[in-house]
Amino acid sequence: MSNARLRLAFEAVPGVVETREAYAETTLVVDPARLVEACTHLRDEEGFNLLSDIAATDYLGWGEPGVAGYIGTAAGRDLHEPGSQGLAQVPTPKPKRFSVSYHLLRVGDDPARVRVQVWLDEGEAVATLVPVWPAADWFEREAWDMFGVRFEGHPNLVRILMPDDWEGHPLRKDYPLGGEPVRFSGED
Amino acid sequence: MTVVPSTRIYEGTRIPPRVPTILDVDPHKHDLGDILRVNFGPNHPSTHGVLRLIVDLDGEAIAGIEAVIGYLHTGFEKTMEEKSWWKSVTYPARIDYLGFHANELEYVLAIEKLLGIDVPRRATWARMALAELNRIHSHLVWLGTAALELGAISMFWYAFDDRDAVLDLFELAGGTRFHTRYVQAGGLAEDLPPGFTDEVRKFCAAMPKSVDEYEAILDKQKIWLERTKGIGLLSAEDALALGQSGPVLRASGVDWDLRKNMPYLAYDEVDFDVPVYANGDVYDRYKVHMDEMRESVRIVLQCCDQLDEMDGEPWIADDRKVVLPPRHELHTSMESLIYHFKIVTEGYRVPEGEVYVVIESPRGEAGCYLVSDGGARPWRVKFRAPSFAALQATATVVQGALIADMVAVAASLDFIMGDTDR
Amino acid sequence: MWPDTFGLACCAIEMMSIVSSRYDIARFGMERFSSSPRQADLLIVSGRVTHKMAPAIRQVYDQMLEPKWVIAMGACASSGGMFNNYTILQGVDKILAVDIHVPGCPPRPEALIEGIVRLHEKIRAGIPPAYEIRGVAE
Repeated sequence: MSNARLRLAFEAVPGVVETREAYAETTLVVDPARLVEACTHLRDEEGFNLLSDIAATDYLGWGEPGVAGYIGTAAGRDLHEPGSQGLAQVPTPKPKRFSVSYHLLRVGDDPARVRVQVWLDEGEAVATLVPVWPAADWFEREAWDMFGVRFEGHPNLVRILMPDDWEGHPLRKDYPLGGEPVRFSGED
Repeated sequence: MTVVPSTRIYEGTRIPPRVPTILDVDPHKHDLGDILRVNFGPNHPSTHGVLRLIVDLDGEAIAGIEAVIGYLHTGFEKTMEEKSWWKSVTYPARIDYLGFHANELEYVLAIEKLLGIDVPRRATWARMALAELNRIHSHLVWLGTAALELGAISMFWYAFDDRDAVLDLFELAGGTRFHTRYVQAGGLAEDLPPGFTDEVRKFCAAMPKSVDEYEAILDKQKIWLERTKGIGLLSAEDALALGQSGPVLRASGVDWDLRKNMPYLAYDEVDFDVPVYANGDVYDRYKVHMDEMRESVRIVLQCCDQLDEMDGEPWIADDRKVVLPPRHELHTSMESLIYHFKIVTEGYRVPEGEVYVVIESPRGEAGCYLVSDGGARPWRVKFRAPSFAALQATATVVQGALIADMVAVAASLDFIMGDTDR
Repeated sequence: MWPDTFGLACCAIEMMSIVSSRYDIARFGMERFSSSPRQADLLIVSGRVTHKMAPAIRQVYDQMLEPKWVIAMGACASSGGMFNNYTILQGVDKILAVDIHVPGCPPRPEALIEGIVRLHEKIRAGIPPAYEIRGVAE
């Protein structure tokens, strides 16, 4: 399917707030309230039959380190363009704290991938995709365990990777890395 | 959909209705008091790692099952957020520790996609050759341990002997047998040593005969057939709904291999077949693994021919902002010295963006979702682990099996706990 | 001396390869890897130990009958390895008494066999097992 047809197909998906294309990948940002509708449409009408991955990301502190445009931007890397090096650039701000990205794959004669993304604040929940793709079960449990993102309607939303009585959600940016300070043999 | 037409494996779906990953005991049976709950704890005799299965048994038949994971959760993703791009390449190899090259490769491909640098073709072909050798290695270990668990103990030694030959090749190329960390953003860490392709050819000449020997031992063996045929059925629709990929999906009749359908590296320039079997049982998964070993040998031989032609070409990209300059330049060029200093101390910076790169690891679809904020460290790395998805299918695949079959079924799903728990 | 495989992660694969014919551990009479801790003398902890897994290891160690020895194989079992974070126990010697630490990530099979040989020498020299010297954390 050519890119233009794919784009037209994605315009028909309900609930899409924004479409981004970068690095030959399409991201459909969807309103969290209409996620199940959008995914069901993608599965039934567009044939995205495999849920590849659910990845949650925490953007707390995004942009604070103040990155330089040293290497370039997504648009290209022209080292000789005047002012392309050493400029302080801040990455594009994100709408909310958490993003949950669903990576879908179409297994069949016309392979394609798409990323469906929802944005959530702390404490907001999103509907579960287990009725659409049963593969979402453990992926959503992992997102809950690591980030504390609630999935409404999930049949078994308990911790999966951490011990059952663990407190906190480890992959959040305000959760410390942990571990022990390393002592060297010369010190006391 | 490209499903091999055959008799239907089973009608409808066998995915448990309440929770897809937990097989619940029929409540009627619970009242009878016949159900025995057994814990296959994290310390298995089988070498599949630290998986805990809570199995409800009705006599010898499995009435309910639940898989508990997390005993090897290493926090890769969080640890990698603290390391610079250069240093963090050491970590992914330990995730799927049998198919280590695949994890390094997907991570490095994701970095290169964000950076937008061109990788020289010698590096691409070398990566392909190593990836296929890694596939052979992974399948050999799988074969050895799976056969060991089913009772064909001598297969363990045969398979591991060949596996040592593969590890010798890795040692020749990168210096270590395991977790070679041979890939770098931009190409390879070092050039392939001279004589590498000759050694690989010697190995490839001997390998198909070994695979023939393994098949001669197992294929017609009555006990093997009894223990693997018709056990652990998974239909194509259930497999897709559960996110399966790789050999499990191909054994259920779906002709899907990322190397053919969505090629990466230079897989569209090599000639190989994709084995697909239609019965969806343990025997078919075993056959897929065996055939894949043969196809990998074919690919490696083609890569060797190409690598010999490209002898002397650069093995890493020329981009000084990402790749260390060659040492002799440090004596003469001031810029090289500065690049070297910046790369070693702070590390290179990757432009802002998010990518999802997927490759066909020995276990199936392995992906890396990478978010960069433009800085010197990854913002978020998420690895899509094929074993994580494979274990979700336990409740579906094990239905109708006896407890002895559970071992066979679990082995056939080819999961690695490091990959599952990350 | 019969080892009890505690194969956790990548080191487990290298531990399996010492059973294979190239790095043959049957030379020492140790090819019978006992799955039951009650019949094992040597616990080879190979791989990273998480906080979730630690009680299980401790239980296996307690089930072993004395005298018993422990080899911490690899960097992760010895000291947490390259993972210094919220989930990895920084060294299995926090919960067990370890006799031999074998460094490496993963250690070559020859390195593990060197560790085993040194353990044999230690025993022949009359050094008591580690739990008698150091005591075991409760």
